[in-house]
Amino acid sequence: MTAFPRTATPALSVRDLSVNFGGLQAVAGVGFEAERGRITSVIGPNGAGKSTLFNLISGAIRPTGGRVTLDGADVTGRSPDRMLAGGLARSFQITNLFFELPVLENLRIAAQILETPWRAVLPLGRSRKALVKADALLERFGLTAKADALAGNLSHGEQRRLEIAVALACEPRVLLLDEPTQGMSHGDTADTGELIKSLAGDLTVLLIEHDIGLVMSLSDHVVVMAQGRKIAEGAPAAVRANPAVQAAYFGHA
Amino acid sequence: MAETIDYLQFILAPQALNGLSLGVAVVLMALGLTIIFGLLDVINMAHGEFYAMGAFLALSLAGLGVGFWALLVLVPLLMIPIGWAAERWLIQRVFHSRDRHILTLLLTFGLGMILEDVLKLAYGPNTMRPETPIAGGTEILGMFLPNYRLFLIGFGLALIAAVWVVVFRTRLGAMVRAAAFDKDMASSLGVPVRRVYAGTFAFGVALAGLSGVLLAPIYSVFPTMGRDFILMAFTVVIVGGMGSIQGAVVAGLLLTQVQAISSLYISPVWSDPLVFGIMVLVLMVRPRGLFGRLGNA
Amino acid sequence: MREAVMTAVSLPRSPSRGPLNATHWLALLFLAVALVFAAVAWTTGNGFYLRLATEALIFAGLAMSVDLLLGYTGLLSLGQALYFGLGAYVSALVLRDGAPSFWLATGAALAAGALAGLVGGVIANRVKGVYFALITFGLAQVVAKAVYNTRELGASDGIIGIPQIRVTLGPLALDTADPLSFFLFVLGLTMAVYAGLAYLMDAPFGRTLAAIRANEKRVPFLGFNAWGHKLAVYVLAACVAALSGALYPMLRGFVSPELLFFHTSGNAVVTVIVGGVGTLIGPIAGSVLLTALRSVVGSWTEHHLIVVGVIFMLSVIFLRKGLVGALLPWLERRAAARARHGRRSAP
Repeated sequence: MTAFPRTATPALSVRDLSVNFGGLQAVAGVGFEAERGRITSVIGPNGAGKSTLFNLISGAIRPTGGRVTLDGADVTGRSPDRMLAGGLARSFQITNLFFELPVLENLRIAAQILETPWRAVLPLGRSRKALVKADALLERFGLTAKADALAGNLSHGEQRRLEIAVALACEPRVLLLDEPTQGMSHGDTADTGELIKSLAGDLTVLLIEHDIGLVMSLSDHVVVMAQGRKIAEGAPAAVRANPAVQAAYFGHA
Repeated sequence: MAETIDYLQFILAPQALNGLSLGVAVVLMALGLTIIFGLLDVINMAHGEFYAMGAFLALSLAGLGVGFWALLVLVPLLMIPIGWAAERWLIQRVFHSRDRHILTLLLTFGLGMILEDVLKLAYGPNTMRPETPIAGGTEILGMFLPNYRLFLIGFGLALIAAVWVVVFRTRLGAMVRAAAFDKDMASSLGVPVRRVYAGTFAFGVALAGLSGVLLAPIYSVFPTMGRDFILMAFTVVIVGGMGSIQGAVVAGLLLTQVQAISSLYISPVWSDPLVFGIMVLVLMVRPRGLFGRLGNA
Repeated sequence: MREAVMTAVSLPRSPSRGPLNATHWLALLFLAVALVFAAVAWTTGNGFYLRLATEALIFAGLAMSVDLLLGYTGLLSLGQALYFGLGAYVSALVLRDGAPSFWLATGAALAAGALAGLVGGVIANRVKGVYFALITFGLAQVVAKAVYNTRELGASDGIIGIPQIRVTLGPLALDTADPLSFFLFVLGLTMAVYAGLAYLMDAPFGRTLAAIRANEKRVPFLGFNAWGHKLAVYVLAACVAALSGALYPMLRGFVSPELLFFHTSGNAVVTVIVGGVGTLIGPIAGSVLLTALRSVVGSWTEHHLIVVGVIFMLSVIFLRKGLVGALLPWLERRAAARARHGRRSAP
């Protein structure tokens, strides 16, 4: 790993974040920092509250307590569109695309936010930035040949790739990826790992991933959750050696 | 003091009782609507026309010499196959599409258009007024009340209670509620979901037809008789909670009282906007209505 | 990930919506047929059919406003008559009590439509799906009953005795009393509204609406305010309906509360479904077709509802894109063949 200069404020900081659903504490007092340009992974057994944590950070759910800051600015409880304006984008565990629209159109709509708002009522060709961005993403994700296909008609692997591409289209500074390799073949998983690695640097990545091998090889920092709480964090090797983590993962097996 | 009692006795109480008889009728209509929505998610826009159909069927059968008591049984029985067919041949055609809420609403709307015109074709556009099956009146607390209205209130309340028992206390009702809660689960437990769907739709339609029989002697019979009445029934279902049986009963009795009393204190012409205003307000503040849905309640 | 596909052209690929090009052709075809109709009606001196066709075009505007919501955004409005009737009443009042000015009447109707649309949109967009349909229905019902009971607005009789006016368009001037010139004027206006809306629906704004229709939950995560977009299109649809409504008293010389009733809203929905939802030209063609059908069937029997109802239900079940939708694939194939041919003949 290349050493990045440490900056005073982390790209994303989560402090004491909590939410409860009807008395059930889904996420309880979770806090960590995602350093700029690095890959931070969140792991934990099923039901640990990882996806809920993403929902809290991305504005899908309003937290009942705690703080989320982006580059030092408090963004706690903002709606998803305002989170995105602050530079945070996300992908979804369950593919969440515009299935009735062509692949290119999925990307172009996502990239449209790069344009000044009044371009929304000008002819489409005037939104050049969005069109160029969509084209670039098509190529980068190997979807050029499928540009005019409906997103709903893509293979599962292609849909998962498009899911990431759509999240990247708005040029976020912080990207949340929720199990990007879910259901992918072995080869595709490796490809996607390479891709995520290439994203870091310009981008701060927060990743939920079940493939522990992938997590260990990609991450700069790992946060471990169990039953809504953070039970450990640190460098991949340190986390792997942590007895509490081993208990959470293998204790009940 | 005496003035107050007179006011209560001669103005307020009769108005409230009128409201009650209308309320019972509206609840009968709303029950069918709400059960159909609770189970099938279908907003049955043709419900008013099924109601009119029941009234016309009663008129025809009465012309053939069938007595009123027999009509109360015969008309709903005749409506059941009509409802069954509508569910099987129309609703099921679009039931599995993504936009089924909108598509079923549109289909039943089209069905309503056709039924209304068929009734016009068969009976002409004019208003018919069947004879009151129960003549005379009774004096209660110094008020003179037509016997038929008293019968309507009593019979209607009994019918509402019967529906309640069927839905909440019988095996059949349990099947319907299970299917409304989770159709896949119900299906795996051996509930014949397809038949339950068609049967429930037919049951709702039969209730509408029965309301037609009951109300024909009071409100007259004409092909578009369902139109205004259905608006009130929809309002009741929305305020009570789409798919809620308790909601339909409570909201039906409450809103008709609001209508009756407001027409006394404000003006009869403003009672309709007031009731629809309440509906909009409820939709804004609590779109799911006052009570929970069938299957979850 | 994969090797980049080299493209010779540096221009970005612009996502084109195939059917739209074909619908433009349909719009031109419609315009041509309408002009031929006008010529025939004029030479035979048939004012009745010209006025009937004008009415069809006015209700086509209302249908387009329903299509904006249903076809492009996925919102079923069962109360669009509210804005149509509002436009009609405001226009009627301005023409009778204010000044007999076309621009003043339509301007006032548009302003009223925008304002009412803003209020109605804020209320209706609190809920989704079938509840949206019901709340729009309820809103229209409240206003319809209120107008029906307001003596100042003529109560159940409506407003009668609206004067004929002269419309001045720069150097041109026309009389609403003249069937041919008013028909041509309304035709021009309808096609202008169509062109404007078709343009807007193909611009990024309209495509964001398509995204909302396809998957509303994803839209906020792309940085768009879905609520704001839905409110904007609701206000736009209200304005289109109000503008169409403003023309009604100019044609008929009166307005009545029926314009606000569910019957009017329901008819507009029927028109959109039969014509072709999400095509804009479909609702125009549908309105003309249904008006013609009612007139033809109406000359034999009063029972045109059966015929319209059957066509409507068949459209819901079999033709998801209406009559225009049935024509489109054929037109697209032809367009594609033409494009292939063009490419082959290019050097």
